[in-house]
Amino acid sequence: MKPPPFAYHAPTTLDEALQLMAEHGYGAKVLAGGQSLIATMNFRLAAPAVLIDLNKIPELSIIQPTAEGGALVGAMTRHVQVEQSELIARTAPLLHATMPHIAHPQIRNRGTFGGSIAHADPAAELPAFLRAVRGQVLAQSRRGQRWIDADDFFIGLFSTALEPDEIVTAVRLPAMPARSGWSMQELSRRHGDFALVAVEALLTLDADGACDDVRLAFCGVGEGPVLATAAAAVLQGQRPTAEVIEAAAAIAASDDVDPHSDVHATSAYRRHLVDVLAKRALTAACARAAGEEV
Amino acid sequence: MRAVGSSLPRFDAHAKVTGQALYSGDFNLPNQCYMKILFGERSPARITHLRLSAAVASPGVLAVLTADDVPLNEYGLILPDQEVLCGRVGGVVRSVIDQVLLVIAETEAQAAAALDLIDIGYEDLPGVYSIDEALAANAPLVHPERGESNVLLSYKIRHGDIEVGFAQADVIVEHSYTTHPQEHAYLQPEAGVGWVRPDGKVEVIVGGQWMHEDRDQIARALNLPPERIVVRYPAIGGAFGGREDISVQIVLALAAWKLQRPVKVQWTRSESIRGHHKRHASVASAKWAATQDGRLVAAQIDVSTDAGAYAYTSPKVLGNLILATLGPYDIPNAHVDARSVYTNNVPGGAFRGFGSPQGHWIAEMQMNHLAAALGMDPVELRMRNLWREGSELATGSKLPAGVTVRETLTACAKAAGWQKLAAGWQKSALDQPAQIAASPLHGAYSLDVGHSHKARGIGIATSYKNVGFSLGFVDECWATVELHGGADIEQVVLHHAGADVGQGAHTIMRQIAAEMLQVPLDKIELIASDTEQTDNSGSTSASRMTFMAGNAIKGAAQMALQLWDAEEDRPVVARYRYVPRPTTPYDPETGAADPNISYGYCSQAAEVEVDIDTGHITVLRLWSANDVGKAINPTMVTGQIEGAVAQSVGWTLLEDFKQERGRVLTDKLSTYLIPTVLDVPRQVHSIVLEIPDPQGPLGARGMAEMPFVPTAPAIAAAVYAATGIWFDDLPLTPERVALKLAQKNRAVS
Repeated sequence: MKPPPFAYHAPTTLDEALQLMAEHGYGAKVLAGGQSLIATMNFRLAAPAVLIDLNKIPELSIIQPTAEGGALVGAMTRHVQVEQSELIARTAPLLHATMPHIAHPQIRNRGTFGGSIAHADPAAELPAFLRAVRGQVLAQSRRGQRWIDADDFFIGLFSTALEPDEIVTAVRLPAMPARSGWSMQELSRRHGDFALVAVEALLTLDADGACDDVRLAFCGVGEGPVLATAAAAVLQGQRPTAEVIEAAAAIAASDDVDPHSDVHATSAYRRHLVDVLAKRALTAACARAAGEEV
Repeated sequence: MRAVGSSLPRFDAHAKVTGQALYSGDFNLPNQCYMKILFGERSPARITHLRLSAAVASPGVLAVLTADDVPLNEYGLILPDQEVLCGRVGGVVRSVIDQVLLVIAETEAQAAAALDLIDIGYEDLPGVYSIDEALAANAPLVHPERGESNVLLSYKIRHGDIEVGFAQADVIVEHSYTTHPQEHAYLQPEAGVGWVRPDGKVEVIVGGQWMHEDRDQIARALNLPPERIVVRYPAIGGAFGGREDISVQIVLALAAWKLQRPVKVQWTRSESIRGHHKRHASVASAKWAATQDGRLVAAQIDVSTDAGAYAYTSPKVLGNLILATLGPYDIPNAHVDARSVYTNNVPGGAFRGFGSPQGHWIAEMQMNHLAAALGMDPVELRMRNLWREGSELATGSKLPAGVTVRETLTACAKAAGWQKLAAGWQKSALDQPAQIAASPLHGAYSLDVGHSHKARGIGIATSYKNVGFSLGFVDECWATVELHGGADIEQVVLHHAGADVGQGAHTIMRQIAAEMLQVPLDKIELIASDTEQTDNSGSTSASRMTFMAGNAIKGAAQMALQLWDAEEDRPVVARYRYVPRPTTPYDPETGAADPNISYGYCSQAAEVEVDIDTGHITVLRLWSANDVGKAINPTMVTGQIEGAVAQSVGWTLLEDFKQERGRVLTDKLSTYLIPTVLDVPRQVHSIVLEIPDPQGPLGARGMAEMPFVPTAPAIAAAVYAATGIWFDDLPLTPERVALKLAQKNRAVS
């Protein structure tokens, strides 16, 4: 199918884009890489009256180090640029490990980092990643700008804390804490598809080797990226023995997620995968935090 | 360079790669209008009212055609049990495949808009949605007009004395099996154009597998003589059996005939998936017996297939399937009951392998179980029972000469690490090449720590598949060769109706003609486009086209060369009809028959890696040994093997066609998953044997279906080797595998 008619604007500056957002507000959609939006429009699942195309605003496509030792990624940065960025590989190894799992190379060539965050697909990896690392989203409008914590940004199925006139312009990734370890695990029935379940893990061990700050975020199991708080509580202050990790993973599966059933897998199997993948992710992340090769 | 045996490029490769080749959906005729089809929404249901006025009055609408507009409103390749259009008050929808009515408008958008304005009411009828439901006592009948039960037809084989056989048994294995439907998922959804030509003939430009049969089915429904119908096949984007039955052919002709204007139709992917048949689902139980030294003494099998709401090719598929349930083995006592059953599901029908994959799933899994029960190597057990030259089928007829199943199993087993020792065949450790241990492309799949959750295993299976039409069908294949020139042959015009569905048949035909006539390939012009300029060549199915067309072209070429030498007149024209040796149908009581013209053989071994926690299976390597008789074009032979393996691995592990009360749940390629290039085995080793088929042209055998057939049981054996668990139900989805692995772990702990 073809999309219903829409008005199209291609601003060349951010100011111009924000002006257009202020004018069109609710009826407008931002066109970034178009890998989700165009498909939903062609299927007539979305019918925005106005498209505001950000592809002609070069300053939105950047990857920069931050003073704190993290990275700032512009919203229009293509997935492939993130995937191949040496800075990302060094400062955000979890993101570096995640990128190859996002769809196919053709889609990564076109899809954007900010687009995936703003689209907030509950099956997508990047929102879960952003929660795991406590990233922040920069939202800009004619009224000003604000940084939104990832935990506050994703509020439900395909919905975020963005106001109708706001655009995501950048994402800030904190530096990896000292004595921290990470892991990303997923199972997809077919290469390049959305995962049945994926998990993004980042945790820190204290001087005694006990778990300090455990961040375990899942996609594919709820209405948005799901942070496994009950599992984290099991680990907090504990040395990550195999038994503790097993208990935490079991709690993640039983208490933290509420997965749906569809033609690809039942809810029960997704819950099983949460258990398996949490165990693997926690084991690998703890090993990395302890300085072991994984 | 010789034409035959050379990997010449396909003559149509350049046009296809550059987009110049025209497929049926690419044709647009002057003054053409567009058609949308209303499919049945409920299954089964009776139409209680049908009001067309709003749709007829909708902008651009030219006509709405219903059951009342079809001159003879029934059709079917084997038996006419389906209406062309079922749209009338009191009409019955038996499956969502049913075409209710047609809306024709100036534009496709107008036709689609008007489709939504059709006011139709349904009264749901009781339905049956599985083989068990259909066979239950007092089950609702899918076709009450066709008798007292939902059984479409049944066959049986009675060979030897089954009780005597079981009395000799040292070991008996008894298991139940199921297989699931498969969608063809060819690249090109159904599309075409119909028009009435200035000479009054109705021409349909469409993709199919047998243009003369399409023509005859159109003619019958329109109540016109076949000469008034022309079916034209341009480039075809895949078929795999899915284009054997009618999809858009009759309705295109009907609409063009009624409106006297060119009419175009283009199905969406969803329309394609719900609009044509699938590989049959099947359920079976099997009890096989062997002596301690691994000699098969008895096999008893009961198998049913889901025909869906209409016959399609179910009777023929069942004819192949029943024989395949016994595998390529000498079994002195065999007792098989097979039936195909009407349900309200999407019909089952032709799909690469044509019943042989379901049959071999039973036979080869029984052999896998037997080998385990006997503690015998699976190759050794098979070698002790496989057919030999001169073996007899369980139907009492001698196998056609050229029985090479042992040769394929030998080649496959050796490549996959088996050795033949004094004590028999034995598996030895197989080298793990570096690219298998860590492939960067595939390594990203599952990032588990140290691969400690992975178990690997190798399994093997063997198979056969018939070549050509079976069971008493009088098969034929025409070819006409014109030789132009003076003293020397300057140009050859070859007329042949065999469809090139993407597999390269038209390149093969040219190669065979060039070889037989000893002329360069570029002197051969092939006319294979339509029913007007060719005679019946039969269907592109049953792995028959190289065999049948090759023999027809060989005959025509030899005849033409004789005329060329004997006569002065130029050009010379030789029209030749190849008729293979006759076959006979099953005896209704015993199954006695000489069922098939010829057979092709294939053995495969698979190496898998199983994630024992998630249940996800990856096929690392697959060896496929095929006797093709003579590889007319070796690269295309390898392409057929690799393509079949991709499709059979998809069927075994990934593809999962789902229906709920007859409604298709997986009508998109995002819900019906087919493998990408990253999901097929990392290495497919094609082992091509060339042991001539005495009946084949230049020794060639049919080969395109065979590499589909043994894959599933080879993979299941490999999964057993890796995990110690048998899976007797397809597909091996991670969910199903994980569940059983977890049960086993719980039982152990």
